[in-house]
Amino acid sequence: MAIPVIMPRQGQSVETCIITQWFKKKGEAVKKGDVLFSYETDKAAFEEESPEEGTLLEIFFNDGDEVPVLTNVAVIGNPGENTEEFQPSGKNSVVEKESVASAEETKPEEAKPEIPVETAAKHTGEISISPRARNLAEKLGVPFRQVAGTGPGGRIIERDVESYAKLHGTFTRLASEIATSEGSSAPLSGSGVGGRVLASDLSHETPGADDFEIKKISNIRRIIAQNMHASLQGSAQLTHHMSADARKMLEYRAKIKKKADTDDSPNITLNDMICYGVIKALKKMPAINAHFLGDAIKTFNKVHLGIAVDTDRGLMVPALRNADDMNIEQLSAELKKLAESCRKGSVNPELLASTAASFTVSNLGAFGVEMFTPVINLPQSGILGINTIVQRPADVGNGIIGFVPFIGLSLTYDHRALDGAPASAFLREVKLQIENLELNI
Amino acid sequence: MPKIQFINPKEVRKAGKITFSDIPVNQYNKSIADEKNNFSNDDFIRILRDMQIIREFETMLNLIKTTNEYQGISYNHPGPAHLSIGQEASAVGMAYSLTIEDYIFGSHRSHGEILAKGLSSIHQLDDKKLMEIMKNYFDGTILKIVEKGHKGDVKDLAINFLLYGTLAEIFARETGFNKGLGGSMHAFFTPFGIYPNNAIVGGSGDISVGAALYKKVNRKPGLIVCNIGDASAACGPVWEGISFATMDQFKTLWEGDYKGGLPIIFNFMNNMYGMGGQTFGETMGYEILARLGAGVNPEMMHAERIDGYNPLAVIDAYKRKRKIIDDKKGPVLLDTLTYRYSGHSPSDASSYRTKEELEAWMEYDSIKWFGDELTTNKIISQDKIDAMKEQIISLITKTLTLATDKSISPHMDLNKDPDAIGKLMFSNGSVKKMEQGEPEALMPLSENPRVKQLATKERFAFDKDGKPVSKIKTYQLRDGIFEAVIDRFYKDPSLVAYGEENRDWGGAFAVYRGLTEALPYNRLFNSPIAEGAIVGTAIGYGMCGGRVIAEIMYCDFLGRSGDEVFNQLPKWQAMSGDIIKMPVVIRVSVGSKYGAQHSQDWSSLVAHVPGLKVVFPATPYDAKGLMNAALQGTDPVIFFESQRIYDVPEMFHEGGVPEGYYEIPIGEPDIKRKGDDITILTIGATLYNALKADDILKEQYGISAEIIDARSLVPFNYELVLESVKKTGKILLTSDACSRGSYLKDVAQTITELAFDYLDAPPVVVGSRNWITPAFELEQYFFPQPDWIVDAIHERILPLKGHQAKNNFTVNEEIRRNKLGV
Repeated sequence: MAIPVIMPRQGQSVETCIITQWFKKKGEAVKKGDVLFSYETDKAAFEEESPEEGTLLEIFFNDGDEVPVLTNVAVIGNPGENTEEFQPSGKNSVVEKESVASAEETKPEEAKPEIPVETAAKHTGEISISPRARNLAEKLGVPFRQVAGTGPGGRIIERDVESYAKLHGTFTRLASEIATSEGSSAPLSGSGVGGRVLASDLSHETPGADDFEIKKISNIRRIIAQNMHASLQGSAQLTHHMSADARKMLEYRAKIKKKADTDDSPNITLNDMICYGVIKALKKMPAINAHFLGDAIKTFNKVHLGIAVDTDRGLMVPALRNADDMNIEQLSAELKKLAESCRKGSVNPELLASTAASFTVSNLGAFGVEMFTPVINLPQSGILGINTIVQRPADVGNGIIGFVPFIGLSLTYDHRALDGAPASAFLREVKLQIENLELNI
Repeated sequence: MPKIQFINPKEVRKAGKITFSDIPVNQYNKSIADEKNNFSNDDFIRILRDMQIIREFETMLNLIKTTNEYQGISYNHPGPAHLSIGQEASAVGMAYSLTIEDYIFGSHRSHGEILAKGLSSIHQLDDKKLMEIMKNYFDGTILKIVEKGHKGDVKDLAINFLLYGTLAEIFARETGFNKGLGGSMHAFFTPFGIYPNNAIVGGSGDISVGAALYKKVNRKPGLIVCNIGDASAACGPVWEGISFATMDQFKTLWEGDYKGGLPIIFNFMNNMYGMGGQTFGETMGYEILARLGAGVNPEMMHAERIDGYNPLAVIDAYKRKRKIIDDKKGPVLLDTLTYRYSGHSPSDASSYRTKEELEAWMEYDSIKWFGDELTTNKIISQDKIDAMKEQIISLITKTLTLATDKSISPHMDLNKDPDAIGKLMFSNGSVKKMEQGEPEALMPLSENPRVKQLATKERFAFDKDGKPVSKIKTYQLRDGIFEAVIDRFYKDPSLVAYGEENRDWGGAFAVYRGLTEALPYNRLFNSPIAEGAIVGTAIGYGMCGGRVIAEIMYCDFLGRSGDEVFNQLPKWQAMSGDIIKMPVVIRVSVGSKYGAQHSQDWSSLVAHVPGLKVVFPATPYDAKGLMNAALQGTDPVIFFESQRIYDVPEMFHEGGVPEGYYEIPIGEPDIKRKGDDITILTIGATLYNALKADDILKEQYGISAEIIDARSLVPFNYELVLESVKKTGKILLTSDACSRGSYLKDVAQTITELAFDYLDAPPVVVGSRNWITPAFELEQYFFPQPDWIVDAIHERILPLKGHQAKNNFTVNEEIRRNKLGV
């Protein structure tokens, strides 16, 4: 008997998924457990296995189609069986391109389950936008809630959407095409808002007709692009830098590594230790362990630590819930597990929501980065960037100047949520935690 | 004042006194026997019959209104029925001697007059003519209804036709004389010389004078009877109509066979009451209404009180007064004494009069008395009178049966044809001349001094190098109006123009300079300063089939013609059921510099009233083209002009104002300057301030406005404006009208509905302040200025980088002003 294969629902807030690739063709025999197709949500990628043995009788959606969750995607059964009854209701199950864009763009709003509905609605109501600007935003795929209005009383008007779209569109299309075709991998400095690259910033040499390749960006890339841009447009973020004496931490690391090489004891990394210190600092100074909600600040009692993970699909920031309940070994193990699940694409999408974490740590030390300005995952009000360790001259005691390893700390915080003094105090607390690290090893 | 008449101080300063001759009161004193030479027995019997028909017709209406039943037929008539039971002798006497060429106008209480004039006309017309009239009226619709099963001669058929057409009209049936759109108070039937009754007291007072003017100017036979009530003697339009009708110039300045008084009888049907107010002894002071004639002109309007309870007395008076009219010594005032038994309307409890008074008048009931006189004189037996009554009852019963049968006499079906009334609002005709024949003029057009002068003018504002031509050499807006007007005077012999200072002076703003030389008095003359009569007579003139341009010197004076502009001019085309055309152009000049009562733009007021076309050109090219269109049309057009811009040259139309004839369709706006960033819609002279505002926007902020001149307010084609708004997403609307209730607010609201999704900001109206217009020196604080437009754009639509607003267009200020009502 024929059975349908449905698009699974990956997380409460997921409404649609995109089929990235079919691995089986219509009419092909499948075994239970064979991977039928892969798909992705806004935040993660998954594979769907065949639930039964049989023949793939019908495929209702193709690669690249956006499919509402719980919709029939395919039918497995015996050859000759009728599949009509599984036909998804109406061919319009494939979400129209235009509305896909708008649905995604409103995601950041919708995916805030922890914000009381009333606040969210109020926020929506406060947006002032002209009908023309709204229509244009929808047409161009501009997330108008993130556009700054310059009309009367701050109303978003046509020119605001236009300038937003101009910056946005120029970078992703024209500017990036030209830059790619010129084979330049050097970072270009843009003259647009938020460092966006304008076409006018690029040389006017016309590239060859076919010496470049244009690839549509992935769904995740788009979401990252939007969230990052929205963060810079929609908040008042700035970064303070500080360094912490890393000698103590390095001593621990040497001991741990040596021990781990000999037995199976946990291989606690410098990153784990820093996170451990950050959690302690957050507990001690919770002002930054908070979400800024526009007209309210939501301060967390627990620490849900967001951790930036680089994957070949792009940046992911899963949350480690209740990280303040863990000792260093547990923390180390959980962080490892979380990063691994991201790279495999099996992470729980709920943990990828920016609202799942109360504060985020991003570590670029391994790349040798000495200083950077991490971008906040709104509505969080801070993110700590970890830099590489450099040797610096310092007073090593008794007036003797020697070289001491210092690890760089770059704290970006949202000035709307807190001021420079408490932010600096928090950063100093992180430094102290690192310098005075006590591990029971 | 024409130069040919010398006002000699020696003469006018002499001592003397005014003497009055006697005004006859109820002087008729003849018996039936005395009148036997003047009337045949049939005539006497017909007078009685006509009175009885009217009595029964109104008795039926009274029963329908008060008991919902007549002769076993039930019907509920929710509309009005102002009855004149008791007044029949006045109506029949009035109509008896009138010919088919004589026109009557009426009041809200005129059923009797309609029937009397109809019956008189039926008596006079031969069968062939009657059949022709009945067959042609609404393609024989009414004839087909009354013809079915009819036994009897054509005159009987015509009586059926008259009663049915009137009653169906009263009952608002599509088969009525005016498609049910006039009703009881407005019913009429022009083929029998029955012109509109009027639900506004005294409404016919000036309109009928216009009809008399039409008769005179177009050499048409016949006279006009203006039937109005005694209470209307207090009304402005009646006095203005009388003043207009008794102007000296008809006797002193009009020439040839045009010389002489207007052919009109003001017939006051004097039933002593104005609704519940007693005109004799309470609300008026004349004691005897005929006295009023004494103060109007040396002829005392040949005023007379006649006994309206004796049909023969009324007939006698009309025979005598006709001679006066024929001798061109009109107008005439008649005080026809009568009395109504019925209430003002069926809801009238007669709380204002006693039963004794009522019964005293019933003692003298004209029908009973006249019947008795006829039987006494053996002209008819009582049996025959009774039989006649029975016959009339069955006639009225039959008429009622037909008129209340929905399948025979349906109401207008607006479900089937939702536009049925809409398409009657305007006749939208295109008629070169309303009368045949050659137009009268004093010289060939080419010899006219103004025409010759205009030939030397530059018709475009700029020379071929784009440099402005000197002002004195350019053709101006006033010249555009003049060219269209004089062109029509040489095409349409029926065209007349009048108003204050139109002749000799050439109009207060020199638009008509050159017309005096071209036209005789009977085509161009000065009216009394009586705006009600200026417009009211134009309505009567147009209603009868002539074309007319009336002028209101300042828009502010429009209030003086309020009833005529709001209640009469816009209504009659639709209320007639497509019978009447109204080729009337009212020129209205919007002033400036002269303060609160001489500077108001009231275009919004007239645009609000359905049935008027409203235009407001702002360039010479548009002024000429729109005036040509207005004068070629058959609809009432309120033609606004602005005194600010009478002297502007043509700056927009390539090649300047064409010398030849062209029309600009009424209702089409025009882009005066192309632009991309914001649309500015203007009405009238503010066009030029909008252009200046656009210069500021361009030079200082790099923004270009698309400037659209509305040119017309009603009708108005939104397509061009919507197209522009879809492009720019923004619109500011501006005119010199006070902003509260401005027509532009209506336009703004409509644009919001039609282009909401395209709007980047709410449409913003910049009008004048809601104040009195201050003196010229302060006008810049009252009328919209270029910087107001820029400031309003900055504050409400599109903040301009670095702009410092001087005027307060903030939302809070708007709220504050509205709170204060200023």
